[in-house]
Amino acid sequence: MGIQSAVVRARRGMREEAGLHVVALSSLTIAFMCLGTALLAMTNLDALADSWGRSGRMTVFLRDGTVPGDVEQLRMALEGLPEVTSVAALSAEEARTRFLRDTDLGADLSSLPADAFPASLELALAAGTSAARVEAISTRLRRFRAVDDVESYRGWFERLERLLAAGRSLSLGLALLVAGCVVLVIGNTIRLAVAGRRQEIEVMRLCGASHGFVCGPFIVEGAAQGFLSALLAVGLLLGGFIGLRAQFDVALSGMAGLDAVFLSPAVALTFVLGGGLLGAAGSLLSLRRYMAV
Amino acid sequence: MRFPLGPSQEPTSNVVRPFAFFRAGAQPLEASANRPILVFEDVFRFFRPDVATLRGVNLSVERGEFVFVTGPSGAGKSTLLQLIYRKQKADEGRILFCGRDIARLSDDSIPYLRRNLGIVFQDFKVIPHWTVFENVAVPLEILDMSKRLVRARVSEALERVGLAGRGEDRTAALSGGEQQRVAVARAIVTEPALLLADEPTGNLDPHLAIDILTLFEEIHATGTTVLFATHDHTLLEQRPHRIIYIDDGRVREGRRGLGDLRMDGASAEPAVVELSSSRKMSGRAPERR
Repeated sequence: MGIQSAVVRARRGMREEAGLHVVALSSLTIAFMCLGTALLAMTNLDALADSWGRSGRMTVFLRDGTVPGDVEQLRMALEGLPEVTSVAALSAEEARTRFLRDTDLGADLSSLPADAFPASLELALAAGTSAARVEAISTRLRRFRAVDDVESYRGWFERLERLLAAGRSLSLGLALLVAGCVVLVIGNTIRLAVAGRRQEIEVMRLCGASHGFVCGPFIVEGAAQGFLSALLAVGLLLGGFIGLRAQFDVALSGMAGLDAVFLSPAVALTFVLGGGLLGAAGSLLSLRRYMAV
Repeated sequence: MRFPLGPSQEPTSNVVRPFAFFRAGAQPLEASANRPILVFEDVFRFFRPDVATLRGVNLSVERGEFVFVTGPSGAGKSTLLQLIYRKQKADEGRILFCGRDIARLSDDSIPYLRRNLGIVFQDFKVIPHWTVFENVAVPLEILDMSKRLVRARVSEALERVGLAGRGEDRTAALSGGEQQRVAVARAIVTEPALLLADEPTGNLDPHLAIDILTLFEEIHATGTTVLFATHDHTLLEQRPHRIIYIDDGRVREGRRGLGDLRMDGASAEPAVVELSSSRKMSGRAPERR
């Protein structure tokens, strides 16, 4: 009944000061959308890193004019390595065809000569192969006469890791900034609500209301604002994501061979509940400061 | 003799007080049933360290009494009442309400004290944009009563103050006298042990003032103890209730109305005459809302 009474009184308060709460809700939704966008970007970068990390592959580029015997000998040597799970030979013509197909740019590059792309061996590595072992295999492969170059994609992966680390720091900073904004906006809204309802508060106190009874509706209002604005932000992000998904998918598929993903249900739920908690916290802080009737 | 009941106690009469006495679960002292409901023992309240608002006040109010508290403006009438509902705290002395020293109550206990009191103010302190029902129901919502009981108790209180059937009216639309009746209904809806009225007729015209006083007397007739602060001389003249006269922070008493106070020694006369004069000289018609 205590919580129910607080909810009923909070609803009445929000109805009476609808304008104030709508303005606060709009500001908070924008703040939560900024955080949500950063989270969405991080989610997709994480998926990309996960995909690349899991793939564990190497490409051995062969010199032009390498005789099939040398290629076969190299292939047999590679298949003997415990870290190599499969070896696929790719001729120059096949490499060209695959590139034109994957990048969807065939119209512009179809005039490229057949030998524009070197023949190669595509290696799939066992999961958990260490960076040092990959490096050792690369060094050994480079000694073969038929090998022109070895791409372990290690550099790309490390660059992506660095990008992800920077993105995580950025998201954390943004999350702290948004949390501060939410606490401030809700705190000020509650302060105005307290000022607007000073007479009610005084009457309640004189009738024997405890501090909890008086503060209850304001905490519910703060939590509701945080929850609703976070929910609204997730909804708007989802709408935008669905609308722009086709374009994302083309870009990501071309670059990394995976589709764009939205926030997982668990993350979205945490986001919305966290919004509610932040709202309640902002309200509590404001009440501690301004509730002195 | 009425006592608020603890949550686990069954009501012994039709008066339901499902709230604690000062603190949750605490019961009124058994022995206090035979004592005065309110006792001031050598109470001092200082406005500044060297300026006392109340100086060594000693008084006792029996259960079921109707007591006028009067005196010139600034004499300390409101301070006396505020000490009872703990808006202010006594600097020295003891104030016993139902046998408990409320001057020493912790801040957390003050709401529980106020649940045993009904308070009516000069400026009504009703929420204008709420309905009459919502205003009167506030103390019952604080006590966490069921909706059914709240409806029944509010209807009963509104009937007692002559506002039966007006529950859905917006309070702002009522006249000053009606708004004060709403405030009285709110004060009595929990059947408090003590009803405090701080200049409740101060904003009403003389006719309405008499109406409100009559209403308080009707409530008193049902057994409620009433402390009625007023500087309205005409009210004191009309009703032969006990009078506590405060002047310059000191208290004098007239047991049987104003006449008794006038006869109470030579020193009393000038003060009462002065009170009467100041009332006549002001010549201002009370504001009507």
